[in-house]
Amino acid sequence: MIDPAHIAPSISRPIRKPVGITKGPGESTHEYTFVSRDDAQELKNGEYVYYELSEPDESGLTRLDGASAFTRRVLGRIIKRVPLKLYPDTFLAEPEISPAQVAAMVGYDARANELFELHVAIMGYYEQATGSFINPWIPPQSGKQIFLADDEMLATILSRKRAGQNGSATIGSLLTRAPEAVPIVLSVKDLVSTHLAIIASTGAGKSYLASVIIEELMQPYNKACVLILDPHGEYNTLSEIANATQFAEQGDGRGSAYRAQIKVYKPEQVKVRISSLKIGDMRHLLPEMTEKQQYLLNRALRKVGETKRGTPWGAADLKAAIRAVSKQKGDEDSDGADDSSTVHALTWRIEERFENSFTFDDIQHLDLPEIFKPGQCTVLQLNDIDERDQQVVVATLLRRLYQARMDTERGKVHSGEYYLPYPVFVLLEEAHHFAPGGTEVVSTSILKQVLAEGRKFGIGVGLISQRPGKLNADVLSQCQTQCIMRIVNEIDQKSVAAAIEGVGRDLLNNLPALSKGQVIVAGAAVNTPVICRVRSRFTKHGGESKDAPDMWQNYFSPEAQESRRRSEAPLNSNNKAFNLMR
Amino acid sequence: MFIGKIVKSDSHINYVCQIYGPREVEVEPGPADYAFGRFVRVAVRSALTDAPDTRIVERALGKSQEPVTYAVGVIYDTILLNPAFGSLGPRLSNETQVELFSPDYISEKAVLIYVMILGMIEQRTTLLGASEILSTMHGVPLLSLELGSEIEIMNDEEVRAFHFFSDPDRTGQAAYLHMGYLPHIIGQRNSLLPMVTLRIIDQLERLFPQNLSLLSIVKRNFAWRLKVETTG
Repeated sequence: MIDPAHIAPSISRPIRKPVGITKGPGESTHEYTFVSRDDAQELKNGEYVYYELSEPDESGLTRLDGASAFTRRVLGRIIKRVPLKLYPDTFLAEPEISPAQVAAMVGYDARANELFELHVAIMGYYEQATGSFINPWIPPQSGKQIFLADDEMLATILSRKRAGQNGSATIGSLLTRAPEAVPIVLSVKDLVSTHLAIIASTGAGKSYLASVIIEELMQPYNKACVLILDPHGEYNTLSEIANATQFAEQGDGRGSAYRAQIKVYKPEQVKVRISSLKIGDMRHLLPEMTEKQQYLLNRALRKVGETKRGTPWGAADLKAAIRAVSKQKGDEDSDGADDSSTVHALTWRIEERFENSFTFDDIQHLDLPEIFKPGQCTVLQLNDIDERDQQVVVATLLRRLYQARMDTERGKVHSGEYYLPYPVFVLLEEAHHFAPGGTEVVSTSILKQVLAEGRKFGIGVGLISQRPGKLNADVLSQCQTQCIMRIVNEIDQKSVAAAIEGVGRDLLNNLPALSKGQVIVAGAAVNTPVICRVRSRFTKHGGESKDAPDMWQNYFSPEAQESRRRSEAPLNSNNKAFNLMR
Repeated sequence: MFIGKIVKSDSHINYVCQIYGPREVEVEPGPADYAFGRFVRVAVRSALTDAPDTRIVERALGKSQEPVTYAVGVIYDTILLNPAFGSLGPRLSNETQVELFSPDYISEKAVLIYVMILGMIEQRTTLLGASEILSTMHGVPLLSLELGSEIEIMNDEEVRAFHFFSDPDRTGQAAYLHMGYLPHIIGQRNSLLPMVTLRIIDQLERLFPQNLSLLSIVKRNFAWRLKVETTG
């Protein structure tokens, strides 16, 4: 394999033109400045440039072409652009006369009038072996030629994987270049094992980016096992994946053909078996229980767990257990304390909470091997479920998943409901609901545990949030890959800055300047923080905001008025008054 | 109209000219002809000296079609020279008597003007008698002027032609207003030169009404520096 950093300039390189000349060291240690006229206006902020550094060959051998030195390309990113030569203010006095015209009048050849000093943060030269950038620890000499990094070079070194490779996720292309010129490819292995966070203000394209990532994960070169917890019901459009040809693969004769599966669970299909609830969940679902109630419930839970021994039980069993426990307790301390009111209150609350709930069920629940399958993306729509219940759904599901993966990895189970012999990726929308900062909710602790230890058991989590400031700081800091889109709120910007790796922090100054669909990707899944333009989705987007004026206009359209008139007609069966009369 | 001839130079671009006095030319130039800020031109002898001059008659008749190169300058100072001033000593006759009694006595009084060269213009007369501009250049001329060269005042048309042209090295470019001599005027150390710049701009404003706003930028800049900053 040829290391691109080591190719001599003479071999297979298109003719390149230097864009500037180094001036000297910059403000900080790892910065330098260069001067350029930048006639082509291509040295944008965030653009990548390099200079060449000759280093003696470490092996000491003379190479075929006689050169005994490697030429390394030391890459850097432009962080600041300072004009050196500006028109005098007085030249700008007349809005309709351009200063160039004034300069031309007094005899100045206006063909090359601007000169810039560009500040570059040194990233280092790329070392293929380690897949990282190595800082040369010395700024370039004054007078060195600076080149603009070509698309091909950037495509090779910014991303860890090539587009379309197994384990790659092409989420878009480099912002400073033409669309599609430099694809940004995330490494799915790092993305999934060390977790992902997508952070952006509302409307910046969070769920769009998430869907792009899901699309990539469902491609034949990934065939991932993905679960989306979707509190807003935005991801049902992903079901188009199942019919799209790019997500299918012809069989090679040995195995069967691959076709990505999308399974959408409607809110009424999302079930939690009551027997999987722990006392913490109960406390969360039945808030403001008295000490006595809690005590009774705790004992009853333990009792019902003992008697049923792993088989599912329901609300009726729990109620019976409460009564039995209270009676048993009454027998134990015979000084006549009357628990009957407590028992009554508790059973009433349990009845009220569970018996008419469509989320909590005695028998049914989400079958893990059914919702987690490689090549399948499961969407759990939680949109009609109360927020407290959502937290419990997420907490119980994650707990069961963690248990299953841990047991499977440790060889405790070999079949059945808790046997999951493959890693999974869980995408959690509105993550600040499930792990808010400041307070502890029922899903916080399991989420923290999964984030901290999930890597060992192959559980990857993707958090999506629009309020990183409201998200639990521990949770955010566990996500090693960050996709940050436009954030306006200052508190949110600060909490993101605290979580992102150091090299990318200068990129964060661009946060308010990002527009829709532009994302800063930093962390484990890329070689260096980059600003990326998200590619367009293969499937339709579901999370768009409503066009209110358009819908209001629609209300007065002739068709809508006619249909309204018909439904409100006196003799129509929909008319309440008429029905009453009838 | 010829108004005088070069008698001295201070530098390559600074020339002193003596205005023709009485009886030197048919029409004696008046102060209006050598006013402050007036554009003048001086023919430059650019042909090789040993070449036989065959068209001398044509030139004398004004029918030559050979291109002529002129150095274009601006009058920026005037000195009234009177060597007799201060010598109050004995004299045989007073001024009116001198004129009467010794008509061949040459007056030593003279008007000197200072001209700064701003650029060159090359033109020729076509067959129909119209003048055609071949090239224009602003800045320091390459060739020096000669002592005794005659100074001619330029009319509005010539001044306009000197300022309005397209850059020679850019083909197809539209002509536009040039004041390429401005930087080297500013570079000179002479207290009157900024004032002459304002006078030049005034003239150009008259000649190029379509470029008023462009000129106003330079004018306001100069006026501010000259009038406000120096007094303030």
